[in-house]
Amino acid sequence: MIGHENLLWIMLILPLCTGAVAATMPAARKALAVMCTGILLTAGFGWWSVVHVVCHGTLFAASDWLFLDALSAYNLAIMLLVFSLCACYAYVYFSCELRRGQLTLRQARLFTALFSGSFSTMALVLIANNLSIMWVSLEATTLVTTFLIYLHSSRQSLEAMWKYLIICSVGMAFAFMGTLLAAAAAVKGGSVEGAQALLWTHLVGRASLCDPMLMKAAFIFLLIGYGTKAGLAPMHNWLPDAHSQAPAPVSALFSGFMLSASLYCIMRYLPIVSSAIGSPRWATNLLILFGIVSLLVAAAFIIFQHDVKRLFAYSSVEHMGIIALGLGLGNAGVFTALFHTLNHSLGKTLAFFSAGRLGQIFKTTDMGQMRGVMRISRVWGFGLFISVLALIGAAPFSIFMSEFQTVKAALDAGNVTAAVLFLFGAGIVFMGVLAHLIPVFWARNESDVSLVTTGLLEKFLVFFPGVLLLFLGIWMPDFLHGAIDRAAAIILSGGN
Amino acid sequence: METYIEASVILLLLTDIALFGTSRLYTCITIAAVQGVLLGLIALFANAETFIPRIIVIASIGIVIKAFVFPYLLKRTIRQAGVQREIQPFIGYLSSLVVSLVLFGVSIWFSAKLPLALGAGRSMIIPAAIMTMFTGLFLIVARRKALTQCIGYIVCENGMYLFGMVAVGEIPALVELGILLDAVAAVTVMGVAMYHINREFDHIDTDRLSSLKG
Repeated sequence: MIGHENLLWIMLILPLCTGAVAATMPAARKALAVMCTGILLTAGFGWWSVVHVVCHGTLFAASDWLFLDALSAYNLAIMLLVFSLCACYAYVYFSCELRRGQLTLRQARLFTALFSGSFSTMALVLIANNLSIMWVSLEATTLVTTFLIYLHSSRQSLEAMWKYLIICSVGMAFAFMGTLLAAAAAVKGGSVEGAQALLWTHLVGRASLCDPMLMKAAFIFLLIGYGTKAGLAPMHNWLPDAHSQAPAPVSALFSGFMLSASLYCIMRYLPIVSSAIGSPRWATNLLILFGIVSLLVAAAFIIFQHDVKRLFAYSSVEHMGIIALGLGLGNAGVFTALFHTLNHSLGKTLAFFSAGRLGQIFKTTDMGQMRGVMRISRVWGFGLFISVLALIGAAPFSIFMSEFQTVKAALDAGNVTAAVLFLFGAGIVFMGVLAHLIPVFWARNESDVSLVTTGLLEKFLVFFPGVLLLFLGIWMPDFLHGAIDRAAAIILSGGN
Repeated sequence: METYIEASVILLLLTDIALFGTSRLYTCITIAAVQGVLLGLIALFANAETFIPRIIVIASIGIVIKAFVFPYLLKRTIRQAGVQREIQPFIGYLSSLVVSLVLFGVSIWFSAKLPLALGAGRSMIIPAAIMTMFTGLFLIVARRKALTQCIGYIVCENGMYLFGMVAVGEIPALVELGILLDAVAAVTVMGVAMYHINREFDHIDTDRLSSLKG
C-alpha cells in the first residue's frame, strides 16, 4: 500500500523516470509509447490523490512543503485530463509525421523527454506549498517547454521560441519580484519566521498581519508577471506566435493547461492580498481591468487572422481574460471562473487537436486553403466544428453556461460596465470566428486532398472532450459543483 | 563591515551605469560577472558577524555560477556567432546614459515609497537593487542582439537576488538553490537558442526576427 503523501512524490518523479526511459528508446514510436504509458500511469496516481482530497481533505507531504487542497486538486484534475489527452494525441499526431518522414528519432526523443518533464514541473506548480517553489517550478515550465516549440526546425518556430523565452522570462522575473515583495510584507508584519517563510498554508492564516502597502506592490508585480505567462493582454505578444508555431500537441498543452497554471498562481495570492489590505476590492478591480482589456484586444485581433492556430491562440487570450474577469467579480464570479477554466481547457484542447490533424491533412493551417474540412475528414471536421461552437460560447455547450454565469455575476455585483464590455467583446469574437470558419467547414474544396480515414483512438480524442463539453453544459454533477465550491472558498477566504 | 557593504553597493551602481554605455559584448559579460561577485561579497559581508555556514556555501555557489559559468556560456556563444559589438542599438549610448540617470532617480523614489524594514546602514542597497533590475530590463528592451538581452536577464536576476537578500532576509536554502538552478537553466537554454538562431539566420539580431506578425 502506498502512503497517500507519497502520491505527491510519485507525480513529480515518475514522469521524469519515464521521460528518461523514453529518451533512450531505439525507435521513435516506442519512445512515444513509453511517454504515453508514463503519463497515463502518473495520471492514474494523480487521480487517486485527487479522489483522496475530495474524500478526506487536504493532503500534505515533505514536512508540509508539498500539499494538495481543494483548489490545487481541482486544477490538478484539469491538468491530468489535458495531459492524458495530449499524450494520446501526440502519439497519433507524430505517428502521422513518422509515416511521412517528418520526425527524426532525435526529435522524438527530445519531445518525449521534455513533454514528460513538463508534466513534473506543472504538477509541482500545483502542489508546492511554498510560494517561491511555486515560482521556481513555473519558471521551469517555461524552460522545459521552450524547445518543444522549436521541435521542427524552422525559421518561424525559432523566432517564436525566442520571443516566448525572453518575454516569459521577463514576466517571470516580475513575478519573482512580486514573490519577494510578498515575503517582505510578511516579514515586516512579523507573521513569518525562518523556515516557514512563504509557506502558503502558514501565510494565509496570518495574512492580516502583513504590511498592506508592500502587499499591494507585490500584487501588481505578480499580476503583471504571472499575467504574462497566462497571456493576459497587453503582455500576450508571445502567445500567438508560440501557439501557431509549436506542434499541435504542444499548442494544446499550452492553451489547455499552461496558461491556467499561471492564473492558478494568481488565485493563490488572492486571499492573502485581500486579507492583508483588508478588502478584496483593490485586487479584484485590477483583475477586472486586465480581464476586460484581454477580452477586447483578443476580439480586435481575431477579426484579422488568417491562420487557424493563431485564431485559437487569440481565443485563448480572450478566455484567459474571461477567467480573470470572473475572479475579479468575486463570489459567484470566482465559481464561474473555475468552471470556465475546465471548460476552456476541454474546448481548446479539442480545438488544437482538430486544427493540428487537419493541418497535417491539408499541409497548411492557413484558413484560406483549408476548405471543406467536413468533406475531407468527418471526425476531425466534426471535432473542429464542436470545439469552435463551444469556444465562441454557443449554447448548449458548457462554455456558454460559464460565460452566461459570468455576465450574471457581473450584473449581480452591480458592475454593468463590465457586463456590457464583456458582451460586446464576446459578440465580436462570435461573429469574427464564425466568419472565418464557415467556409473552412463547408466551402467546396478544389485542391487534391482526398477523404481520410481515422482510427479508433482519434475518434475517442474527438468525442470524449466533445461529449464532456456538451454534458457539462446541460447538467453539472453534484460532486463537481461541490469541488468547485470548495476551491472557490479557498480563493475567496483562504478556505476558512 | 558596513563600510565594505557600502563600497560594494557603490561599485554595483557603477557597474550598472557602465552597462548602459558599453557596446563591446565581451566587456558587458565581464561587467555582469563582476556584479555577480559583488553580490556574493555583499551577502558574505552582511552575514559576517553571525557566520552561518549555509549562507556562505550558497553565496559561494552563486559567485562561481555568476562569475565563471555564465561568462563561459556567453563567451562561447560570442565565438560561435562571431559578433563583437552591439552596433546601432535602438537607443544610442549617450541617450542610454541619460536614461540611466533618470532610472536611478526613479529607483530612489520607488525604494523610498516601499515601507521595508531595513537594518542600519542598508538604506542604499534597495535603490541599488532596483537600479540593477532596471538596468537588466533596459538591456532587454533597448538592445538588438539576443546576447545582450540574455545579459540583461542575468543583470535583472542579480538585482532581484540583492533585493530578496535585504528585504526578505532569510530564504530557505532549498528555495535559493532552486532559484539559482533556474537561472543556470535559463542562461543555458538561451545559449542553445542563440546557437540555433545564429546557425539558421547567420545573425543574432532580434529585431530582424520579425516574420510573425498580427
